[in-house]
Amino acid sequence: MLDCSLVRDVLKAALSTGGDFAEIFVEDRYSTRLRMVGGDLETAISGRDYGIGIRIFQKLNYVYAFTNDPSRENLLQVARTAAQALPGAAGSIVLDLTRLELPNRHPIKILPESVNKCQKVDLMTRAYRTAKDYDAQVSQVSIDYLDDDQKVLIANSEGLDVEDRRVRTRTMIQAIAAKGTEKQVGFYGPGASMGFEFYETINIEDYAREAARIAVTMINAELCPTGKMPVIIDNEFGGVIFHEACGHSLEATSVAKGASVFSGKLGEQVASEIVTAIDDGTIPNAWGSQNVDDEGRPMRRNILIENGILKSYMIDAFNARRMQMEPTANARRQNYRFAPTSRMTNTFIDSGKSTPEEIIANTEYGLYAKYMGGGSVQPSTGDFNFAVNEGYLIKNGKIDRPVRGATLIGNGAEILKRIDMVGNNLAHGQGMCGSMSGACPANVGQPMIRVAEILVGGQKGGQ
Amino acid sequence: MNLKQLTENLFEAGSRAGFSEMEAFITGENNLNLRVFRGEIDSYSVEDGRGLGFRGLVGDTMGYSYTEKVDESSVEMLVKDALENASVVKSDAKEVIFGGSPAYPQVETVYPALDEVAPQRKIDLAMAIDREARGADERVSIVQSMVQSGRRRVSLFNTRGVALDYEANGISAGLQVVVRQGNETKTAWKFKFFTDLAQLDAAELARKAVTEAVSLLGAGTLPSGRYPVVFRYNTAATMLETFVSSFSAENVQKGMSLLEGKIGQAIASELVTIMDDPLLPLRRYTQPFDGEGVASQTKAVVEGGVLRTHLHNLKTATKAGVESTGNASRASYKSSVGVSPSNMYIAKGACSYDELLKKMDRGVIVISLAGTHSGANPISGDFSLGAEGYLVEGGQIIRPLKQFTIAGNFFRVLQGIVAIGDDLEFGMGHIGAPSVLVEELAVGGE
Repeated sequence: MLDCSLVRDVLKAALSTGGDFAEIFVEDRYSTRLRMVGGDLETAISGRDYGIGIRIFQKLNYVYAFTNDPSRENLLQVARTAAQALPGAAGSIVLDLTRLELPNRHPIKILPESVNKCQKVDLMTRAYRTAKDYDAQVSQVSIDYLDDDQKVLIANSEGLDVEDRRVRTRTMIQAIAAKGTEKQVGFYGPGASMGFEFYETINIEDYAREAARIAVTMINAELCPTGKMPVIIDNEFGGVIFHEACGHSLEATSVAKGASVFSGKLGEQVASEIVTAIDDGTIPNAWGSQNVDDEGRPMRRNILIENGILKSYMIDAFNARRMQMEPTANARRQNYRFAPTSRMTNTFIDSGKSTPEEIIANTEYGLYAKYMGGGSVQPSTGDFNFAVNEGYLIKNGKIDRPVRGATLIGNGAEILKRIDMVGNNLAHGQGMCGSMSGACPANVGQPMIRVAEILVGGQKGGQ
Repeated sequence: MNLKQLTENLFEAGSRAGFSEMEAFITGENNLNLRVFRGEIDSYSVEDGRGLGFRGLVGDTMGYSYTEKVDESSVEMLVKDALENASVVKSDAKEVIFGGSPAYPQVETVYPALDEVAPQRKIDLAMAIDREARGADERVSIVQSMVQSGRRRVSLFNTRGVALDYEANGISAGLQVVVRQGNETKTAWKFKFFTDLAQLDAAELARKAVTEAVSLLGAGTLPSGRYPVVFRYNTAATMLETFVSSFSAENVQKGMSLLEGKIGQAIASELVTIMDDPLLPLRRYTQPFDGEGVASQTKAVVEGGVLRTHLHNLKTATKAGVESTGNASRASYKSSVGVSPSNMYIAKGACSYDELLKKMDRGVIVISLAGTHSGANPISGDFSLGAEGYLVEGGQIIRPLKQFTIAGNFFRVLQGIVAIGDDLEFGMGHIGAPSVLVEELAVGGE
């Protein structure tokens, strides 16, 4: 992607002051974004992202620079300008780049750019029709389709030289149900590190129907009561609770500076002993998978929490210095505009022993969150906030009636200890995770779990 | 590189391929972002980014494409992709390439002295904020300070003779503070967007953040119930920002806004006036023309509680049979033309902050909100959000409150505003507000 001798010269220029490590990240990405609203394809846009990021470490400081201009003169100048932000003079540099050849764990059968856009539009139309025709209360449906073909070259002053190609596609279905002036949204967004063959492995209509069903169920639901209660969170995208409430606080970005509630707690009981949590960037063709991370390390399966005991953080090369630990192949970035940092890949609570039926039957009163929405967390405190996209009250061990407008509010560290049942139906859902190094595709996942008590914020007022 | 020459070649290739009218939207930016942690620079980034967005009309449909390789090698891909994209797009509302406004306003977007500030002075500023914050209180456990500065260039060329450009610069500084006392951890952020380095008092900014974080320690609980609420200026702005998409004619026309058909009607308390002003000197979204090349203009969106206009670009304006309000957005060269507010704010009222608290007598102040991207439905206006703040009794702050929830509906909040403060602030974004007192909201605590 970039001439090997130029890569070497840029790395040398980057180390022309007191830097002790330099890295170059070259990205060439072709993307397509299509948006259908009300059955008409409203937006079709495609194009090329191209840029180069240069990162230099000096002990616990780093400098990052990026540019879109790949000419030799410009790259050398960018590298030297960045280097000038660091004091000191260059030591002797021996740079011996060795190409790392890895087997492709995530084979692609049909490259998205080889597929005519009409076929992509047909897929969206099928999803649109299914959702729109689901019920007369479905007032609006929008479909977003995307595909990405990202080629990267990563090389560093330790001799690493590796290329990776990440192909992804996702279709997001949003259905709105209306009744009077009230509107409710149902959403489903399946995606994978696959080409267009992804749509042969799933039936997009099933997802469209589900998005419509959520919206229609919620428009006819009562307001959720407010108060503390047991909460059952269903599998798949329900894993967003772990992602937000715990995962972010296990990223070196917050751990290294002592800003996380989990700082200094390795080996300690941080969760109920029925909880095992894993971050696995190697799952073949999963949405959050790659062959190498954005520092060029082969992806790994990292056990974060095992039977409630904190086993590992997610660590990038820079924070590894501050933490004096090894990187875990979790360095990610949205694109060349961001310095990479520790991020989740496919993160999930592992399967437990209970069946979903047992969990519900054992709950006298509480909230059943069938589909979770997005959420956010404050890493330094662990305080979180999630929307429940589809919720039901549970009474006497049975699902009683749907309730809308619920949010789950609490604290990550406390909730982990209050998980008292873990189901046996692990599944993964797709999302875009936002953090310091931008928005990255990430899977969240879990089986059905029950939390003994969470503050549910509803709109019905106090009980 | 000569952008004019490049666009001429691009338009020539496009016209051979069958486009009738075309446009190139080109942006370039140079930024320096730095962060300081424990007296050391822990990140320093130098950004040099640019890109070109191309769009063209084939018959009645617009095709889009973009590239970050802004040179001749991209011409073929840009034309081919835009052509294919045009062939699949179908929309009943027509997009147009604009022929230009009769005149463009003079706006102040560049503060020349800022370009002369050496990187070292920006480092010194971030260092000073960090030092002042760490020294301000013994309960301070973590400080992260940052300074961001940048300059951007925006150019718009089209085949109808429009050739516009402007440059803008700006600098912002801020910090996050974490304080600890016993088992309690609280945090606060302060950011300031400014132009003149001499205007910024690092010690004052640091002290404000520390004072706020410390003020949240010793938090107590509150019984769930309905309370009067003061949204401090920053959370009032957050509320407006969360639901601002309702004012977009694009959302109105798609049936995704409750403000459909409400022009001329009261949608808020008569105290409420909401302005959209792209001409404010040296603000974030100050610009002489919008994403389609339409001249920028100041307008009241809500005046005395009455909705005066939705925000329009050329496409939505044509569909609605009105003039564009100059709110065409081009989030980047990668995005199609949408609608967005410029510098939008709730106009300030007459009450001081203390008077607002006196008027409230007993209630809750909200100083931070969490979960606005998950706990709020921008279409229905319904929200249920995590909040932090204080309990007020007898018009005085009594104590900080543990995280609680506020729930309700944005449009009912607008109607329930009973007093507006005189403390209008923009903070970091382009949405501003003064503090506002709302009659009653559902608050979830214990």
